Amino acid sequence: MRNSFLRKFTPATVALVLLSTVVPRLTAADADDLKVLRDQIRALEQKLLVLERKQEIKDEDAATAAKAAPKISITDKGFTLASADSANSFKLRGLVQFDARVFLNDNGIVNNSFLLRRARIITEGTFAKNYSFQIVPEFGGGSATAASAFTVLDANLGVTISKELQFKFGKFKEPVGLEMLSSDSWTFFNERSLATNLVPNRDIGAQASGELFNGTVNYSAGIFNGIADAASSTNADFDNEKDVAGRVFVSPFKNDAGSPVQGLSFGLAGTLGRQKGTSGRTAGYKTDGQQTFFSYAATTVADGQSWRVSPQFEYRNGSFGAIGEYVFSTVNVRPSATGAKAELKNKAWQLSAGYVLTGEDSSATGVVPKQNFDFANGTWGAFEVAVRFADLKIDDKAFPLYASAATNADEAANFGLGLNWYLSKAVRLTFDYYQTNFNFAPGSPLVSTTPLLRQDEKGFITRFQVSF
Amino acid sequence: MKFKHYILSFLAVAATALAQAKSIELLNVSYDPTRELYVNYNKAFAAHWKTQTGDDVIIKQSHGGSGKQARGVIDGLQADVVTLALAADVDALYANAKLIPQDWQKRLPENSTPYTSTIVFVVRKGNPKGIKDWDDLIKPGVSVITPNPKTSGGARWNYLAAWAYAKHKQGGDEGGKAFVTALYKNVPVLDSGARGSTTTFVQRGIGDVAISWENEAFLVLKEFGADQYEIVVPSLSILAEPPVSIVDKVVKKKGTEAVAKAYLEYLYSDEGQDIAGRNFYRPRNPTIAAKYDNVFPKLELVTIDAEFGGWTKAQKTHFADGGVFDQIYQK
Repeated sequence: MRNSFLRKFTPATVALVLLSTVVPRLTAADADDLKVLRDQIRALEQKLLVLERKQEIKDEDAATAAKAAPKISITDKGFTLASADSANSFKLRGLVQFDARVFLNDNGIVNNSFLLRRARIITEGTFAKNYSFQIVPEFGGGSATAASAFTVLDANLGVTISKELQFKFGKFKEPVGLEMLSSDSWTFFNERSLATNLVPNRDIGAQASGELFNGTVNYSAGIFNGIADAASSTNADFDNEKDVAGRVFVSPFKNDAGSPVQGLSFGLAGTLGRQKGTSGRTAGYKTDGQQTFFSYAATTVADGQSWRVSPQFEYRNGSFGAIGEYVFSTVNVRPSATGAKAELKNKAWQLSAGYVLTGEDSSATGVVPKQNFDFANGTWGAFEVAVRFADLKIDDKAFPLYASAATNADEAANFGLGLNWYLSKAVRLTFDYYQTNFNFAPGSPLVSTTPLLRQDEKGFITRFQVSF
Repeated sequence: MKFKHYILSFLAVAATALAQAKSIELLNVSYDPTRELYVNYNKAFAAHWKTQTGDDVIIKQSHGGSGKQARGVIDGLQADVVTLALAADVDALYANAKLIPQDWQKRLPENSTPYTSTIVFVVRKGNPKGIKDWDDLIKPGVSVITPNPKTSGGARWNYLAAWAYAKHKQGGDEGGKAFVTALYKNVPVLDSGARGSTTTFVQRGIGDVAISWENEAFLVLKEFGADQYEIVVPSLSILAEPPVSIVDKVVKKKGTEAVAKAYLEYLYSDEGQDIAGRNFYRPRNPTIAAKYDNVFPKLELVTIDAEFGGWTKAQKTHFADGGVFDQIYQK
C-alpha cells in the first residue's frame, strides 16, 4: 500500500507537474532539452522500480527458502528437529528424578537414602506424518529396593490413520489404570497410589485407539502378551495365553466452555485373559516407600482366567484437580503346580486431589507456572498442595494356602500429604508425607514376622525432578 | 479365548474403522499460470467423480515455477498428479527419483498434453515502443520482462521461441544465440515464474513488453483491462505443449491411482477441453477447438521436436548448469 502510494508521487510525477507550470514560458529550443530530461527521469524511475522489484523477489526467495528449511525447536518440552512440512521429526526428551527418602519410627529397617528413582532419555520421532516411534530406556533402576539396572521401558511404533483411529505396536502401557496412564512426572504425588498395584504396567502388544465425537470420547483396545498386577513385560512371553485390555474415557462436557463440569471425565477400563506360572501372579504389592507388604508364596502359580475392571474419574476446574479410581483384580492361583485352585479377588481404590495455590490451572500434564522461579527477579514459580487416600485389600482366601499370613499384610490403608513446587514447566520439587497402616488376615500372629510390617510406614519422600 | 480369536476380533475392528475413515484427496502440482484453469476444472471433475462413484474428491493445487515445482516433487512433495509447463520437468521426476516410468508420456493421448498454448507479447496500451515482432525486443531502450529459464517452464518456452525466430530469420543456431544474448541484455529483472513476471509487468509497472504464455496474456487483458494492455502476436512462435502425468509412486502409496488417472483422462473429455478453451488454453479436440477459432490468433508455430530435437536435448543444451543460458546471461 505504502509502495503504491509512494509510486504515485515519484520524482517523475513531481517533475512533470513542475515542468508543466514553466513550459509555456520556455522557448522551442528548450522543449527538446525538456524531453530529454523527461526521458531521463522516466528511465530513472524504471531503474528505481527494477531495484525495488529485485529486492521484492529476493525477499520472496528468502521467505521460500526459510519455509523449506528444517525447523529446530528447543523448549522446556524437549529438543525437536523437524522437516519444513513437519512430516518428519525427531524429538529428544528426558527425565531425571532424584529422591531423598526418610522413614520415621521404623527401627532402622528401611534405609534412609538418596535414590536415583528414574533416569530416562526419551527419543521420539515421526516419519511421513503418520508413522511414529518411541524408545524409552530406563537408567535409574526404577526401584528403591532393586539395584539399578538398565531396561527398555517403552519401545513402540505408531500408525495414525486418522484422529479417530490410530495403531500402536510394541511395548507400552496397557490402557487400564488412570494414575498409571498419567506421566509419573506430573501425578499429584511423587509415588503412585496403592491402587496402581492392581493394574498392569507396560506390556508388549498391539492397540487401536482414537478420539470420537469431537474429542469427547477417548477409547483404547488392545491385545497383549498378558502380565501380572503391577508387572512390566521383560520382552519374553511367559505363557501361551494372551490378554485383551480396553478403556473408554468420556469427557461429555469437554466442549462446553465455561461450564463448571467442563473438566469432568469418567471411564471404565478392564482386562481379560489367562495367566500361567509364577510370572502370572504378582511379584508383590508395594507401599509408597516401595516396600513389599504382600507377596504370594514362592510356590504359588497362576493358572486360569484373570480379569480386572476399573471405574475411574478425573475432574479439573481451574486450580483444583481430583482423580479417583477403583480396581477389582482377580487371579486364579494354585499353591503349587498340582494344588487346589482358587480365584482370588483383590480390591483397591484411591482418591487424590490437588490445588494450585498460586492460581495456575491444575493439569494432568503438569502445572505451567505463570512465572518461573527466579530468585534474582523475585519470582517463585507455582505451588500446589495435594492430599490422597488409598487402600488395597487382599482376598482373605489368599491366606494361608497361597500366601503366608505371618509375613504378609492383607490390607494397606494410606494417606498422603504433598506440596509441589513447580520451579518451571520442566522442573519440580515435591515434598510428600506418606503414612500406611497395615491390617492382617485372621490367623496371623500378633506380631508379624516381617519387621517392616510391625509398625505403620511413615515416610517423607522429597524429589527433585527435571522432566522435558 | 484363543489367540486367533483375539487377532480376528482386533482385525475386524480395525477394518471397520478403516472403511469408515475413507476419504479421497488429490494434490495437483502445477506451474504458475494454471491456477484459474484448475480451479474451474477441479470443480467439474469433482462433480463428475461424484456422479460416477458416489465418492467425494477434494483436489488441492500447488503452483509455482515449473522447474521449482518439479524439484519439490522430487524432494518429497506428495503430488498425486503433476501438470507442468514442459516435458523436461516431468522427465526429471523419472531421471532424479524414478517417481514415474521413463515412458510416462505415452500413457495419455497427444503425448500426455491435453491442451496447448504458445508465446506472445503483452504491451502497454497504444504500444508506445511500437513492438511488432521479435526484432523489436532487442532494440536499445526496450525493456523486456520474462522469467528465469532456470526455474520457469514458461521462460524456457519464451527463450526457445526467440531462438527459433532468429534461427529461421538468420539461418542458424549462431544467429539464435546472438539474438537471445541481445534479448536478455534488455531484461532488467528475472522472476522465478510466469505469474511473477506478470506481477512485475502489470502491477509493478516495469518494462515495455512482457513475453508471455498466450493464456496468461489473455488473462492480463481480462483481469486488468483491455484498455490498459494489448496483445502483440509475433510472426513466428513455438507450440507449447504442457504435459500431465500421475506420480506413480505417490498414488500407489496413497491408494489414489484410479482417481488420479481419471482426473487426467477427464482433461480430454468434451467438458475438460471446453474448460481449457474457456481459460485460454488451446484445446486438442478439433471440435472443441473450433469453438475458440475466433479467440486464438493464427500464426506460424514451430515445435520443440523439429527445432531443438526434443526437450531432453534442449534442456541439456540450453538450460542445464553451464548451458547456453548460463553462458549468455550475466547477472
